[in-house]
Amino acid sequence: MRLIKQQIEKKDGSGSATMLPEEPEDMWHAYNLIRPNDLLRASAIRKIVKESAAGSRSVDRVHTNLTIRVTKLDFDTQASQLHVSGRVAEENKHVTLGSYHTLDLELQRNFTLEKAEGWDSVALDTLKESINQTAKAQLWAVIMQEGLANICLITEHQTILRQKVEVSLPKKRAGSSDHDKALQKFYQTTFDSLLRQIDLADPKPLLLASPGFTASSFQQYIKTQAASGANKQLHQLVPKITVAHSASAHLHSLSEVLSSSAVTSKLSDTKFARETQLMDRFFDLMRNDDARAWYGPKECEAAVERGAVGKGGGVLLISNALFRSQDINTRRRWVQLVDEVKDQGGEVRVLSSMHESGKRLEGLGDIAAILTYPIENVDEEVGDMDGGIDDLEDEPDGTAVNGIEGRSEAHEDIEI
Amino acid sequence: MHRVKNIEYDDDDLYAEDEEADGEEEQAYTDEDRQNFDDLTPVVRAELNEAGLQASDREIEEALYYYYWDVVKSVVHLKNTRTSRPRQQQAKKEKAKSKFDQAAERSASKTGRSSSPPLPAAAWFDGIPWSTVPPELEGYLIPVDPPRARSKLLGGSSKLAKLAEERRKKAASSQTAQPVPDTRLSSLDRLSKPKDTKENVLPQHMKQEPKKYPIRKKRELTPPPKEPSPPPEEEPKEELPNLRASPTEFACTLSTPTSQAARASSMTLGDLFGSSTNEENTFKGPSPDDTILRAQQHSKDNAKATKQSANGIAKKTEALKLDQTPSPATPTQPKIKSKGLDVPKLWVDGKAKRKPAAAFVVIGHVDHGKSTLMGRLLLDTGAVSQRDIDKYKKQATELGKASFALAWVMDTGSEERERGVTVDIAQHHFSTNKVDFTILDAPGHRDFVPNMIGGASMADLAVLVVDANQLESGMKGQTREHILLAKACGLKRIVVAVNKLDSSSPPWEEATFKNVKDEVTKLLTATGFATEDIAFVPCSGLNGQNVVKPVPSNGETGWVASSSSTLLQELERSASGNIAEATIKASLRMQIADVFRGGITNPLSVSGRIAAGNVQVGDSVVIQPSGETAAVRGIEANSDGVEWAVASQLCTLHLTDIEPQHLRAGDVLCGASKPVPVVKSFVLQIQALESILPQGVDVHVGRLHASGSIAALITTLDTQGELLKKKPRVIKAGQRANVNVTLSDGGAPLEVGDRVILRANGSTVAAGKVERTGS
Repeated sequence: MRLIKQQIEKKDGSGSATMLPEEPEDMWHAYNLIRPNDLLRASAIRKIVKESAAGSRSVDRVHTNLTIRVTKLDFDTQASQLHVSGRVAEENKHVTLGSYHTLDLELQRNFTLEKAEGWDSVALDTLKESINQTAKAQLWAVIMQEGLANICLITEHQTILRQKVEVSLPKKRAGSSDHDKALQKFYQTTFDSLLRQIDLADPKPLLLASPGFTASSFQQYIKTQAASGANKQLHQLVPKITVAHSASAHLHSLSEVLSSSAVTSKLSDTKFARETQLMDRFFDLMRNDDARAWYGPKECEAAVERGAVGKGGGVLLISNALFRSQDINTRRRWVQLVDEVKDQGGEVRVLSSMHESGKRLEGLGDIAAILTYPIENVDEEVGDMDGGIDDLEDEPDGTAVNGIEGRSEAHEDIEI
Repeated sequence: MHRVKNIEYDDDDLYAEDEEADGEEEQAYTDEDRQNFDDLTPVVRAELNEAGLQASDREIEEALYYYYWDVVKSVVHLKNTRTSRPRQQQAKKEKAKSKFDQAAERSASKTGRSSSPPLPAAAWFDGIPWSTVPPELEGYLIPVDPPRARSKLLGGSSKLAKLAEERRKKAASSQTAQPVPDTRLSSLDRLSKPKDTKENVLPQHMKQEPKKYPIRKKRELTPPPKEPSPPPEEEPKEELPNLRASPTEFACTLSTPTSQAARASSMTLGDLFGSSTNEENTFKGPSPDDTILRAQQHSKDNAKATKQSANGIAKKTEALKLDQTPSPATPTQPKIKSKGLDVPKLWVDGKAKRKPAAAFVVIGHVDHGKSTLMGRLLLDTGAVSQRDIDKYKKQATELGKASFALAWVMDTGSEERERGVTVDIAQHHFSTNKVDFTILDAPGHRDFVPNMIGGASMADLAVLVVDANQLESGMKGQTREHILLAKACGLKRIVVAVNKLDSSSPPWEEATFKNVKDEVTKLLTATGFATEDIAFVPCSGLNGQNVVKPVPSNGETGWVASSSSTLLQELERSASGNIAEATIKASLRMQIADVFRGGITNPLSVSGRIAAGNVQVGDSVVIQPSGETAAVRGIEANSDGVEWAVASQLCTLHLTDIEPQHLRAGDVLCGASKPVPVVKSFVLQIQALESILPQGVDVHVGRLHASGSIAALITTLDTQGELLKKKPRVIKAGQRANVNVTLSDGGAPLEVGDRVILRANGSTVAAGKVERTGS
């Protein structure tokens, strides 16, 4: 994303910024930047119905710039498209004030955003991150086992599952080659699906991961296809393949793959590497039942309150899903928490909920903290306030109290 | 009209030298005719003289009469006839011998007008000089010869036709002598009307035919058997290969001396009759498959069948047909009728007769020799022939893995053989005098633990294979994990085979065995196995010592013989095969371990272990989570077709009325009345093997391998199941706890009490039972 123009007051954060999204990933940033009640100005196509005096109707499609006050966002991860609904806030000759419109943000078209509550620190960080042109790591990963393959696109901020291939393989059986045949067919299907996804003209690194030797067999299969097939472009893909080990073909195994040295050397994603490192450290502390590691909203807030997440190793890990809250107060609460940790000199990591590290955090209530000193029984203190994680039946209730909008952040905006 | 009649008679009457004919002729001319002759003959003669030709009055008259008093035409005719006079005369004579002539003769003789006495046809030729036939006339005999048309009927082979042609020519040349009489009398007639000739000489021909034709007819007789034979050759050609031989057999019969002929001919006869009955059945038969089956059967029984009469064989084939019909008939009847057997009762009734059956899973660390030990067990019990092993040995040696030959009995996959690693569960059946065993050979490699879980969930007991020389690697690795998983899958009894004792240094040292035994016992008891359920067997899988065959009681292995039984004996002792009747009466539950194509007749088959209930052919079952119903059209247990199967049996069900995409390994097949609910989240009481946080996990339920996450930690419990702490922030390794597990995509068929194993990052983190199910 390119920043075209910005007029943000440092003092109160008021003002607007004009940006130019250049690639699909930028839509993800826009999704994290735009909040309900913000003013968004972007080009739009509007259908205008005119009725003449004689009563005949004519329909015109008009290109115009519209400013809307945002009510709802819808992000399509597969297509990387962002649809922003709202009410028209500035009248022009085509539309009247207050009429509804849904803007589809488009690549290579400017949009201007003005924050209703002003630009807070997290919003500014997100903006900075989104206009950072340096890190643009991208790779394709096929994480597989016999009969199951997940084809995903891994970017700096997202892991997008593009295709799942599931084939029922007959098991080995003496005197039958059905298994081998079915396995070859499975490779063929996976390979075909992969070719449909990737752009061979500009091949990105391809990561194959599986338990056992499925991945290496598949690599061999691709090599054979490249050698025998007529598709010359395949030859460019072959040297970009990396084979790694994963425990299973399920997506949660991807974090293991992405943190393996074979992959980190290829993927110059320092942000992710640091996040993974911190997550691993957190999990290690948890395993040892170290009182310096805490997770859950209430627990983390309590810890921050006590100044435990500060200078000397204090880390707050927070998923950006929390900042996408519908409720302004909830968002403000998390922004304040982040600001406080920064004031105390602690490290704040905003993890992408779409990325593997963020997904691991998701299970922990989207927030975790590594403290500078151990605090015992934080949970008991907050237990009275009905915090954190709850029993099966109480869960929806608990989430509402916490202000976390469930775990399926993709749909959060629909439920008003 | 009258004229016309006259013409005919005149025509006939124009004989050359016959007096009798002359007489007739004279009578035929009327006075008016004579008048005309007198007028016109000089004119014609003058014309002929001009052309320098001579002609008798008679000739001229004749021509005039013929051309109806037309002078010009008569002259032309006479001029033309001058050149070929003899022939013309002959032709005219010939005509005289026509039917009409004979009729006239007869009528004349009857009326008494004819001067000649009535003669038999043969008598006509008396005294005729046979040799006077002009040679050029002979040529006319050939086209006239009627048998030629018949010879063409032989058609088929050109050789035969040629032969016939030659024969015919010969016959014709010999015939020339006989037809001569006609020629002399009526060669002209013969030229124009060959049919008459035949009729004329009919009596003679009748006499000659027996002479002439027998030769030909004999030739023709040989082809006829060929003509009927094509049908049996054409249709059952492929089905009845032995029938091909029958013509030659027949031919043999023809040529064999009488002493042997009796036997040979009887065989041929039987075959021929057999073939004819088959031919009929081919058209009656329900399907080509049936015919093939019957034909194969028929060929097998041929030796016997040939001795029987044609009727006997017909009956026999009929009987065979009846036997074969059920299987090919089934596709036409998609609805399989259930016999409505009372399976639990049958099971109880047959209990006494049955051998106990047991399925055991072979577990242990990778490369500790599980597959090889099982290969040895199968070889020494005779379930696999030495010949197969030799074949594997040869192939394995080519790959440079000679020591893997025994393992290849279990490792049938091409990748498994190439890499020398078991990947998936191998299932093999063998029987001893006491027990029916099913081996489930599990992979030892950590990447294939999911497959091992699938195998362990189908077994009754476990055989743990431990390499005596590499105890340490196993204790850290999959020996430990497999023991935990075996326990988690609900296996109670375990037989530990301490393997590779022959290659320890020194070999067969008792101390090594003791050491292993102590270590493993410690681990097993810590996992929760009772000491009385653990048995140890020292052995060597590669050489087969103490596997099936006991070791010699002297020498280095003496302590083994005295202190321990063989692996097979230990297994037989461990097999109980007891199952509560209540389990059998429960609603059907069978987890699908494999979905495959059972063959041409069974395009869709599933295999697995019946966990509860019973199933019989014709039952309708529900597959969860797809919720589709299917019908059971066949059941196989130990590769024998059976009518029913009950809980604890490993069997293959052939299904119908369902699409393959509704079936996956890990799905549960259940009774239609009470299907398993499909759940997305459930509360699991676990025994933590590692510290557990809310995190993503692989959820294993037998063959089912799903992705899910621990959504919440609910409580930790003490050993008595009493509540320790609500909402713990972490569950430490070894703790018992209740957790809430959510499945990522879709639901899984789960019930309270199902055994679930949770794995993360390639290691088992927890195992437990479903406490209650959510939505």
